[in-house]
Amino acid sequence: MSLQILLNFFLAFVWMFMTVSFTPSGFTIGFLIGLGIIMLMRRFFSKRLYISRVWALISLFLLFLRELFKSSVQVLSIVIRPNMNIKPAIFEMETELNDDWQVTLLSALITLTPGTLVIGISDDQKRLYIHALDFEDIDAAVSSIKNTFERAILEVSRA
Amino acid sequence: MRTNDVMLQTATKVVTFIILMFAVHIFFAGHYTPGGGFIGGLLTTTAIVLLMLAFDIPTVKKVLPINYVVLTAVGLLFAIATASASIIFDVPFFTHAYDYYDLPLFGETSLHSALLFDIGVYLVVVGVTMTIIQTIGEDE
Repeated sequence: MSLQILLNFFLAFVWMFMTVSFTPSGFTIGFLIGLGIIMLMRRFFSKRLYISRVWALISLFLLFLRELFKSSVQVLSIVIRPNMNIKPAIFEMETELNDDWQVTLLSALITLTPGTLVIGISDDQKRLYIHALDFEDIDAAVSSIKNTFERAILEVSRA
Repeated sequence: MRTNDVMLQTATKVVTFIILMFAVHIFFAGHYTPGGGFIGGLLTTTAIVLLMLAFDIPTVKKVLPINYVVLTAVGLLFAIATASASIIFDVPFFTHAYDYYDLPLFGETSLHSALLFDIGVYLVVVGVTMTIIQTIGEDE
């Protein structure tokens, strides 16, 4: 992946030298044309196209914004309720993420969305301990996190 | 005797991209400076032929799954469509039009309908030369 980005930058500089336009716009045009050529030759690389990983990252960010909005509304509705009959709970979630940055990112995303909070990670990094503000069903809570954040992070890190 | 052509293959992996980049540059340079669709198409073909020399025809077919006969037909369609579009505007066949546009990144650019015709030339050149080379190359 990093090799593809390097090649893209290299092609952008080749373009700048060919067209004798040493300006940011010349670089951008060269970068875009190089990206087009790399996309045309995508089957030439053993790894997948780096732009798809960039796209996965963008969609993870959009997913985070959506979840943030949804759960903020939920927490707001809990806060303004006159009788606060909530059921807080701490539950355990198994994760299939391995790398340090993946677990960190997942924990940060879970914590940043209101309503859930990561309070600890097991020593072998296989389980997260999560505090939920209003708790109904462990399977529903775990599967909602697994289907959104964990899957998106796996999509980003897929080789 | 089968020699190890790792050097050829490694150099090809980089050089192909530079040739393709140069082909794009030559293609767009055609209006004011030497270049154009024909030489751009030939340069693109040389890049693909270099791939074929360094690797083999099945590999290149897997990398670029293009039917070059269809590519030729598409190029001819581009050319005839550009030429006959002038009829709609009630001007003689093959009359071109151009205007100045303020594009992002490029600044003020004149867009000429001859470019569309050049794309047709480019596709036909790539299609025909690749068809010839592939047909000869696959002949046992």
